[in-house]
Amino acid sequence: MIRVLIADDSRVMRQIVIRTLRQAGYDWDIREASDGQEGLEAVRADEPDVVLSDWNMPNLTGIDFLRALRAEGFGTPFGFVTSEGSDEMRTLADEAGALFLIAKPFTADTFREAIDPVLA
Amino acid sequence: MTAAVEHDQVYAIAEEVFSAMIDGEPGYLRPWDGELPVAAEPLVAWVDVHGELAGRAAVTTDLETAHELTRALLGMGADEPVGPEDLNDAFGEVANVVGGNVKALLPTQGSLSLPVVATVLPEVPGTSLTHELRLDWRGRSIVVVVWLFQ
Repeated sequence: MIRVLIADDSRVMRQIVIRTLRQAGYDWDIREASDGQEGLEAVRADEPDVVLSDWNMPNLTGIDFLRALRAEGFGTPFGFVTSEGSDEMRTLADEAGALFLIAKPFTADTFREAIDPVLA
Repeated sequence: MTAAVEHDQVYAIAEEVFSAMIDGEPGYLRPWDGELPVAAEPLVAWVDVHGELAGRAAVTTDLETAHELTRALLGMGADEPVGPEDLNDAFGEVANVVGGNVKALLPTQGSLSLPVVATVLPEVPGTSLTHELRLDWRGRSIVVVVWLFQ
């Protein structure tokens, strides 16, 4: 079973992401982190198979979370789930090593379209 | 953010947020017809965009509707009580997603603040209202506003 870490400062949004993963057919083992710093510590403690992270979070933003992981040598597959889906942010995400960026609002179809090609 | 964002684009964002995140299907959001009712217990959530083009996106409604939005977002039953933490989180997230999508339309990308929820939207000197969308969600009034900071 794929083990996913979901990092988002909104508990409500984490719940929506979990629900959407299930609707999309991903029966994954789920762990949660409430910001990038907590996410970083969770990966250090027990690296998941994939990270789904918000961008705009207190303490450590999603992009800094990703950069910190790569700087520490973690190649964990990483995707953003964020309300900001501009071309500029997609480029930044791509350059930092993210596999995809899912813009909110999303549907189960959006999840499948982003996740299937990279985790197949 | 006046010229950069059109009224129809803000409406399209609101429609998408409600159909994808809140209702799970389109058809429950339409323009409000007539005078807006005065909210007995108003609630507003907003995010600010900082940068070359700066502004604010806010969502205003009454407390009861914010409870309904929270139940819809969390897939809760009609009679399930909503705690204050979930209410702030869910209603703030609605403003966050609306604001993030408005920001994505701008030609230059600044940064987005974390969402704030309060009973009154504080005034910022030198701002001008650029868009006001009066919306009807399942018979309840919700207003989305976009401000320009000058």
